[in-house]
Amino acid sequence: MARSIWKGPFVDGYLLKKAEAARASTRAEVIKIWSRRSTILPQFVGLTFGVYNGHKHVPVNVTEDMIGHKFGEFSPTRTFHGHAADKKARRG
Amino acid sequence: MSDDRSRRILVGRFGAPHGVRGELRLQSFTQDPQAIGAYAPLFDESGRGRYKIVSLRPVKGTSFVVRIEGISTREAAAALTNQPLYIERDNLPEPEEEEFYLADLIGLTAFARDESGAELPFGRVKDVLNFGGGDILEIEPPEGGETILLPFTRAVVPELDLAARRLVVIPPDEIEAREDTPTDDEDATDSSAEPGRSDD
Repeated sequence: MARSIWKGPFVDGYLLKKAEAARASTRAEVIKIWSRRSTILPQFVGLTFGVYNGHKHVPVNVTEDMIGHKFGEFSPTRTFHGHAADKKARRG
Repeated sequence: MSDDRSRRILVGRFGAPHGVRGELRLQSFTQDPQAIGAYAPLFDESGRGRYKIVSLRPVKGTSFVVRIEGISTREAAAALTNQPLYIERDNLPEPEEEEFYLADLIGLTAFARDESGAELPFGRVKDVLNFGGGDILEIEPPEGGETILLPFTRAVVPELDLAARRLVVIPPDEIEAREDTPTDDEDATDSSAEPGRSDD
């Protein structure tokens, strides 16, 4: 069953404080988080979070498309290393 | 010889024969699985066997049934089973600005630049990952042990020299965000629901 709309999106409160602090900083920062269950809010866009997958903190660069999703969706707990072949990476 | 090997890229693998007319399965590893049909020539591990795909039809996911030029019997197709397929790196089109082939990035030597501008060995790029949150460099430290994950951004990777096979990284500061008092979940949920709560 989906979460009731009247409750609003779930997010661990301390993430908001850290995100605010990171936004004020001028240096490149990764906010290490364990809260995979928190929803990505518009105020997180542009920040980089290191989302714990039970093993490591996976860097997640938050973009507008991710709003409404949970952090855990971008940090898989089981990793499949495929073949490089003709795949490309873009420097953001 | 070793130089030749480093310039070739694994793009697929032949599978089991299909039918009696020399068709066989092919698993594609390319970004667009169907694109493997456009690459030519494809060659095997030794570099001697060259293959040209005449027809290609999808079966499931990244699997195809292909007909190869000069292969017309099931026995000939069976002889190719499990054969890896390569292309020359030079056959790939030029990437766009700020785009890099994973095959070019993997194996680069990484140096960490500190605040004084000094560069210290940081490791070797083991893999490039992407789970939907931007590209990530997986770097193997020189002393071994756990790999390090870094976002592939201009701020973190300001210099990248493919010709010299090196890149410079500025590891980002890390700040931890965890609950100050790790009590029960109920407290976290109550306080956390506040930001998005609507009154109606």
